[in-house]
Amino acid sequence: MGKFSGFRITIAQVFKPKVTGDYPNSKRPKPERFHGRHVLNRYEDGMEKCIGCELCAGVCPANCIYVRGADNPPDSPVSPGERYGFVYEINYLRCIHCDLCVEACPTEAITETKLFEFSFTNRQDAIYTKSELVVDDQGRAQRQPWELWLGDEDDQTSGWMRATASAGQAEFEGKVGWSGELGVGVRAAEPSQDKTRTAIAPTSEPEEVALG
Amino acid sequence: MSSVPISQWPSEYKYSAPVAGDTEMVNVTIDGVEVQAPRGELLIKVAQDYGTYIPRFCYHERMKPVGMCRMCLVEVEGMRGLQISCATPVVEGMVVTTQSPDVKEAQDGVLEFLLINHPLDCPVCDRGGECPLQDQTLAFGPGESRFVEEKRHFEKPIPISDLVLLDRERCIQCGRCTRFAAEVAGDPLIDFGGRGSSTEVITYPGAPFSSYFSGNVVQICPVGALTARSYRFKARPWDLSAVETSCQSCSVGCRGVLDSASNRLVRFLGVDSEPVNHGWLCDKGRYGYEWVHAKDRLNIPLVARGGGLVPESWPQALELATSVIRDVFDKHGAKAIGVLGGAQGTNEDAYAWARLAKGVIGTDNVDAQLGDGLPAEVVIGMERATIADLDSARAIVLLGPDLKEELPVLYLRVRRAAVDLGVPLVDIGASNTGLTPYAQAVLRHLPGDPEAVTEKLAAALAGQPTRPDELRPLLEAIDKRALIQKEGPVVVVLGRSSVAEAADATVRAAAILAQAGISAKFLSALPTANVHGALDLGLAPGFLPGRVTLAAGRDELAKTWARVPEEQGLGAAKILANAAGGEIKLLVLLNCDPIADFPDGQLAKDALKNVEHVISLNSFTNESMRHADVVFPITVWGEQRGSISNIEGRVARLGRKITPDGSTMEPWRIATELAARLGHEMDLESFTEVQDEIAQVAPAFVGVDSKLISWARDGAVLPVADHAAEITLALSSLDQNKRSAGVSWEPIPTSGEDTPGNGAVPPAVISPPRPAQALYSWAKQAPERTAALADSYSLRLVASRTLYGNDLITTQSPSLARLATVTAQLRVNERERDRLGVADGEVVRVISSRSSIELPLVVDPSVPERVALVAINRDAPGASDLVDINESVTDLRIETLSKPVIKES
Ligand code: SF4
Ligand code: SF4
Ligand code: SF4
Ligand code: SF4
Ligand code: FES
Repeated sequence: MGKFSGFRITIAQVFKPKVTGDYPNSKRPKPERFHGRHVLNRYEDGMEKCIGCELCAGVCPANCIYVRGADNPPDSPVSPGERYGFVYEINYLRCIHCDLCVEACPTEAITETKLFEFSFTNRQDAIYTKSELVVDDQGRAQRQPWELWLGDEDDQTSGWMRATASAGQAEFEGKVGWSGELGVGVRAAEPSQDKTRTAIAPTSEPEEVALG
Repeated sequence: MSSVPISQWPSEYKYSAPVAGDTEMVNVTIDGVEVQAPRGELLIKVAQDYGTYIPRFCYHERMKPVGMCRMCLVEVEGMRGLQISCATPVVEGMVVTTQSPDVKEAQDGVLEFLLINHPLDCPVCDRGGECPLQDQTLAFGPGESRFVEEKRHFEKPIPISDLVLLDRERCIQCGRCTRFAAEVAGDPLIDFGGRGSSTEVITYPGAPFSSYFSGNVVQICPVGALTARSYRFKARPWDLSAVETSCQSCSVGCRGVLDSASNRLVRFLGVDSEPVNHGWLCDKGRYGYEWVHAKDRLNIPLVARGGGLVPESWPQALELATSVIRDVFDKHGAKAIGVLGGAQGTNEDAYAWARLAKGVIGTDNVDAQLGDGLPAEVVIGMERATIADLDSARAIVLLGPDLKEELPVLYLRVRRAAVDLGVPLVDIGASNTGLTPYAQAVLRHLPGDPEAVTEKLAAALAGQPTRPDELRPLLEAIDKRALIQKEGPVVVVLGRSSVAEAADATVRAAAILAQAGISAKFLSALPTANVHGALDLGLAPGFLPGRVTLAAGRDELAKTWARVPEEQGLGAAKILANAAGGEIKLLVLLNCDPIADFPDGQLAKDALKNVEHVISLNSFTNESMRHADVVFPITVWGEQRGSISNIEGRVARLGRKITPDGSTMEPWRIATELAARLGHEMDLESFTEVQDEIAQVAPAFVGVDSKLISWARDGAVLPVADHAAEITLALSSLDQNKRSAGVSWEPIPTSGEDTPGNGAVPPAVISPPRPAQALYSWAKQAPERTAALADSYSLRLVASRTLYGNDLITTQSPSLARLATVTAQLRVNERERDRLGVADGEVVRVISSRSSIELPLVVDPSVPERVALVAINRDAPGASDLVDINESVTDLRIETLSKPVIKES
């Protein structure tokens, strides 16, 4: 044996099952709360959810969001209410995908997808503008030429991705905390994450928000 | 204090309306701490002064308490129930608890109640992030509401004026806005309507809230119910970066905070400066920042080439200007050079240009006032009053322009003195002004002839035993006031009520008051932003920086300056006349446009047509620079640091908030660049070096160096020797832990950024030499009194200014431009109109000795008989076509046109 004894471990590996996959042709499922690049969501009637409030920009620790609000044009409003997000930019050279922007948003407008595979050849591409971030008419993320994602990887990217319910209540189990979304409708309530507990039956109505 | 949000840190000053003879101190215990306070002071204020913040919505330190919101409840031992601290005066032995369980419960209740009908608009509300309702709910509120029913609904924002929007859903009925309008501004145009939960703030039918002070209600509204159109959705508080500065729209110099977002100015808020503006601003000052971003701003030098002005690089343009100056100097001497303007810039600009013109080139033909001011020796030499003197005056005499139109926040201060503090007011003038309704004596005279009435007034004030009928109410008011205020000066607010008449008569009237033995003090009412700084720094013929004459300052200045002019030069009128006549070959225009600004438009046009060379510094192109050799683009307010002097001679610092677009330069730097090219290094590299040089060479500025200017938040009144206590006080009351928050529904606390902390050493105090008794000596050599009207058909012209006219700030600021009238009208009263037999709005021919123009005639009941009023800040044809600067008054003949043209106005 002598000189082959050093290969024992190596050879043993050959007969074990492979852990690597055929990336990028097949990918592993990502964790539910994976933080990828953002989308700006729309309501079921097509209106934008973003109201240009700049709370996301204010909370962002990397200072990578730039938002400006403007008066909604009365005859063709972009969002419900007085104000809409007129300029919206995220700089992905700075974003650390902490999701604080998602937590801060009062309208569930900004959420993070699981899409993370993009590489740029210039800095301009790294700054996603509003036209790139807003979901398309089917409610799905718009694929940019430099992004690599397949088929349905953009599913399940919005509202319920947040760690807290929009009203800030800790008890989310079985309660719909989210407004409806273009292309998706109202998402079902989240089950308990505690596997030992039996899930509470979801209520169909969004919960009453009564805050001072 | 630590739980109190930054935006609500209390202000520094102590304020209480003077109560007759009551300065007794009482002992009060607040939360177990024994403190002392003047008897009668409001509990909320006493607590705040000693560091206990009691939450409040309706209480505002500059207005009377009303007790409407109940947020300020506290427990007072021995009194049944909770007391509202905003309306409870302190008395000896009072024991107060501001944080007991009962108080906490009451605060929870009040906030829950206020929020019942308050929409959750915070994310889209302009107040969100700096909102007292948000902040106090967080700090003192219950956290949750039990109210799940539908809230009340109103149409979302409705305009209540061209500048202000009202969102009635957000209003918490604190009454700050309505009280401001009625009590402070004297424009009671908004009030509460409806009852119960449908109470709303309303304007009266057909009358918008078109007050000159409407922007203040936006600032003091404790919620986002009132918002400014100009700031709507422009930025959120966390985008803003702020700097404290002075307003440069007029010469009051109100203190404010300038906010920018992404290198764009977006907002200007008043700061509570006790000696100056009490936190208020006028709308022109507040919204006039917009002009800085006007798209026609000049941002590259222009030179004359091929019959037009074309862009050029800075070095080339500077070279060209230098060669023009050198050329004229070599061929015709320094006297062939005239420098006009400089009253819009900073003190540093004024000094550097005075040094270039007088100390390098050697010409004394320098004048910052374009025929619309008072003789420099009068302004510099008169016994000056401060704004605060108005509060303690024995009487206030108005001998000048309509303060409401020209110095709006001074109008508020005079109005407060008259209405709230009971200071008797005398209105001398040719026509009614905004303050006439508050005056105890209204002394009307023919334009240009205030002397007769002034003599009568002086005699009565001096204690003459016979009391003329028209002065009886005044003298009674003075007697009544003497019970509280025996001493105190008679403050004369002195300025030009009309540029259609020479300044002589006004100065003679002022001299009468000065000599009457009534301890008169004078508060200048010249409106141009920094005209007082320009005069103090030598941009006037015969003067050198520091309020000294050529003769008095020559030896001292010669140590720093290359030369000092030998003899006194010419004022603006003579400079223009000599330019028209060909003796002056080069005119340097420092941020001024004589064709638009000089009262005698014809003379200005002739001068600029005939003069060989023009060098112009400006931020916009204008008619006067059409034939310029070189035009330098300059940085302006908000883009440049430095200092200005206001009507009192108070030197206050200007902050810089943005970097300008393009390549502009500060006027003082242009002066140093030109001086260097002319062979004289000024050795001034930064604005602080200019300030330090001023403090060294200019006698009245002794002690006012760059350090003092940056420390003294309220500025320092010149000469410091007379006001040493004021500066010491300002310095010792600064607290390093407090920083300007950029938010000011409450007065903004002192900016602590560059303060030396308590116990700073006051600057060395040296008495500067002052020209003695200028007012009297000037009056002696002034020409004779004006004759009566030429004939019974003539009307005498009053050419005054209105707040919004054809000036750059108004026309280049979109918010204000909508409010401006830029075409001239002839205003007469009904009887004069009937004598002419024309209809209202009909165009008539107006003939003066100068020219004849056509203007629409408008009936104005506030104009007396025999007088015609044409605002001066209007586009041509207008008042400046009618005025001949050499005449002491302007008499007009009005003729109807054969074919009347009716114009809709
Ligand atoms: S995920 Fe975090 S870093 Fe990225 S934009 Fe949002 S707040 Fe900023
Ligand atoms: S994404 Fe949300 S938080 Fe950001 S501006 Fe829009 S509404 Fe506001
Ligand atoms: S509009 Fe604002 S200031 Fe006026 S009463 Fe309502 S809350 Fe008070
Ligand atoms: S009164 Fe004068 S200084 Fe004050 S805000 Fe108005 S324009 Fe500015
Ligand atoms: S602050 Fe005292 S009742 Fe409003």
